[in-house]
Amino acid sequence: MNTDDFEQRLQRQPLRQIPGEWRGEILSAAESAAATRHSPPVTQPSWLSTINHQLSTLLWPHPKAWAGLAAAWILIFAVDFSTRDTTPFVAEKTAPPSPEVIVELKQQQRMLAELIGAGQAREAELPGFLPQPRSERVEILMT
Amino acid sequence: MRRETEIERLYDGHAQPLYAFLLNFTRDEADTRDLLQEIFVKLAREPKLLAGVRDERAFLIRLAHNAAIDMMRRRGARDRTKENFAAETISPFAATADPDEKIFRGELAAALAELPEEQRAVVHLKLWEELTFEEIAAALDVSPNTAASRYRYGLDKLRDRLRPLHEEIK
Repeated sequence: MNTDDFEQRLQRQPLRQIPGEWRGEILSAAESAAATRHSPPVTQPSWLSTINHQLSTLLWPHPKAWAGLAAAWILIFAVDFSTRDTTPFVAEKTAPPSPEVIVELKQQQRMLAELIGAGQAREAELPGFLPQPRSERVEILMT
Repeated sequence: MRRETEIERLYDGHAQPLYAFLLNFTRDEADTRDLLQEIFVKLAREPKLLAGVRDERAFLIRLAHNAAIDMMRRRGARDRTKENFAAETISPFAATADPDEKIFRGELAAALAELPEEQRAVVHLKLWEELTFEEIAAALDVSPNTAASRYRYGLDKLRDRLRPLHEEIK
């Protein structure tokens, strides 16, 4: 194959033409830029775009690593939720006792009061135990 | 009759070759338009850029090349998939009704897309802008020897890829 022939063939290939409508658009943009070049507009970026830019700058270098970290946290939360004890901490409200139960309880309370009262009376009759020396106790036994 | 402004003169004189160069470089028409606008806005804002420039075309190609490289760097890896997809679909060549030429242009566009960017830029400037290696070297900020070797490597790859088709439809 002749190199010159090949090169000439390549050179003969016509290139795509620039779209005609671009002329007006590009020149208009250029002239607008030229008109404002002495007073360039100072655009204050919004805080949202600033945060977005900062996050992109931070996260972009290692997107897979950040995605992996996020996935690990999601997994941890999922496991935590699935193993959580769901029993309520506050005791369930019980139904009020029936009138029969109340009567029975009052009866038991009265019996207990009677028993305690009888015991107290007997204790009052008996002399109380007073600790004494061992020698005196022997004397008591002898008599 | 309205007098042509300086920016209009520059556009009419250089927009077409800059468009072809940028389209071959980016393989994306929207990117090419953005870059072209960026260049002409810059020229309008800073008219002194061209003061003392002997070869306007070489200077503008250098501006275009730098702007295209900056755009690629800004995008990084994010848009590589898009670039590769675009490289397969957008051709820098004009459409044709001749079926043989249509096939050849399609293959040539694909082969150019496979070249490294630095070789593609030199091949484009040598073949379709007909610049000398000295002019290419000045435009791309490399030595003339580097420009010549990049052209040789690029052309060899194109020849290897297109040899069967070229022989068949010669």
